Amino acid sequence: MGLQGKVAMRFISQALERINYTFGDIERNSNRFANALLELGLSDGDIVFSFLPKTPEQFFSFLGILKVKAIAGTLFSSFGEDALLDRLGDSKAKCLITRKSSMRKINRIRNRLPDLKYIILIDITGHESPDILSYSQLTQNAPDVYDVPQTGPETPSVLHYTSGSTGKPKGVLHLHRSILHQRSTSKEILSLTDNDIYWCTADQGWVTGTSYGIIGPWSLGVTQVHFAGGYDPALWFEILQREKITVWYTAPTALRMLMQQSDEFFTDYDLSNLKYIFSVGEPLNPEIVHWSRRVLKKEIFDTWFQTETGGIMISNRTGLTVKPGSMGKPVGSVEAAIIEDDGTIQFQDKRGNLCLKPGWPSMFSTYLNNREAYESKFKNGFYYSGDTAYTDEEGYYWFTGRSDDVINTAGHLISPFEIESALLEIPEIAESGVIGAPDDLLFEKVVAFVALKENQEWTKDLELKIRIKVSNKVSTIATPQEIIVVDSVPKNKSGKIMRRVLKAIYKGEDPGDLSTMED
Amino acid sequence: MTTFERLNEIFCEVFDNDTIELKPEMTANDVDGWDSLSHVNLILAIETKFAITFSQKELLTFRNVGDLYKSIEKRLESRK
Repeated sequence: MGLQGKVAMRFISQALERINYTFGDIERNSNRFANALLELGLSDGDIVFSFLPKTPEQFFSFLGILKVKAIAGTLFSSFGEDALLDRLGDSKAKCLITRKSSMRKINRIRNRLPDLKYIILIDITGHESPDILSYSQLTQNAPDVYDVPQTGPETPSVLHYTSGSTGKPKGVLHLHRSILHQRSTSKEILSLTDNDIYWCTADQGWVTGTSYGIIGPWSLGVTQVHFAGGYDPALWFEILQREKITVWYTAPTALRMLMQQSDEFFTDYDLSNLKYIFSVGEPLNPEIVHWSRRVLKKEIFDTWFQTETGGIMISNRTGLTVKPGSMGKPVGSVEAAIIEDDGTIQFQDKRGNLCLKPGWPSMFSTYLNNREAYESKFKNGFYYSGDTAYTDEEGYYWFTGRSDDVINTAGHLISPFEIESALLEIPEIAESGVIGAPDDLLFEKVVAFVALKENQEWTKDLELKIRIKVSNKVSTIATPQEIIVVDSVPKNKSGKIMRRVLKAIYKGEDPGDLSTMED
Repeated sequence: MTTFERLNEIFCEVFDNDTIELKPEMTANDVDGWDSLSHVNLILAIETKFAITFSQKELLTFRNVGDLYKSIEKRLESRK
């Protein structure tokens, strides 16, 4: 392709030092990792997870895994031990790539992961044991050439777990054919061209991070910037300016946090190279669009997709007038519709389930080990996304909410069930119920209702215990922003937590029909 | 156990990481998982374990572990 010498990745450290990797470097490093995996006996269909923040090894290993026709799973870098156990256990992952600092969590669950044969640490120089291996030792002597085998479009490729409102997270499996849609939308929606410098801020643990932080842009030969640090207004704007970013894909929470800066802050930066800003993960408030037009002098294009869709389904883009607050229109050949539970297609202005006609190339192939859940997502000839929306007279889609209890906080989908389970492990807690409540910054915040056991008192110690428990068991982002102590958590007669009642109580609204509630 | 050792222990618990070895010059960049959300847990843990309270103004002045440690020491001293 003639891209060997072109920069594929400008890797920016937390101290803003830049290391350039050409497409040739990416190829050689991923070849080394592919060869190392084969040495370990890992190949077709084996599941290899990474549990890393943004590091160059994250990218090399991801591509190396795909090259040997193994399945690349990625885990959000702030997951706690329960979140790791659910995902690594359900998938029967054979190998995990991570860092020394994660070993405290891993060691606590290791004996419940009988299929996990190898742990590869990127920050040790030599192998520690036959199953705890050094990334650098594995790859330094591995050949940097690799003859990639013929890989059919139906070959499994990427695995991400997604949270539901009940039960354990589900493994969303994609196939190699997904690249067709990720590539076409990178070109047609994100408007990426050869000359662009593109920055996607998403963590590689989520679908945006792999579809649009690895596969789509690199399939077009686009230079990407990846930053090892977290959100920091000054650093982010320094990167936008210094790296001459032309296309930026980020999230509404980050944009809302930026809105808290004074207008003068932005006048210090030259953003003349920045052509487009795209947003994903949560609904983009109209206020952000107006703020960006006024302060940054840029349009922000909201995009909508899910882990299951593998790529952008509905979006705003150049050439389409942006209606602030709208999701935009379906992309390419994607056929969307608003449908009632009974299959009635809704037309203009009527809220209903946001559904997609199956058949787009990046559609997930199954929920791993849970075909029943997969099939339940398809009804009346459509895929039911779990989001609700309506369309206007011009065919624009407008997000209205979720049809289930999944919490979307700062663009991360969180299962209330996972948090409730972690809370119940605390000896002082008798019952727990968790909801998402509207939040100006995070879109939704995690609110936990807890009923204490007899003779237990609410103390600052207990609050700390709850916060650390949820953070270390589930994820930092799942930590409750508010904890409300109640006498009991409302349940129906079969013992199911009535989260709609908790939501109504929280908002001070009428909880509606309580006939199914236990006494 | 010194105050610094206790602080190190709190970091290990909050960030669920036994390998943390605090040094005064360390910042959030040097500790895996030290972000704005876990920072809230860290401050709450320090306040609870040392039985002290930071002022909002003080919280904004912490640039690194050394600043945090000095502030804890100051609070503990003032109680004597």
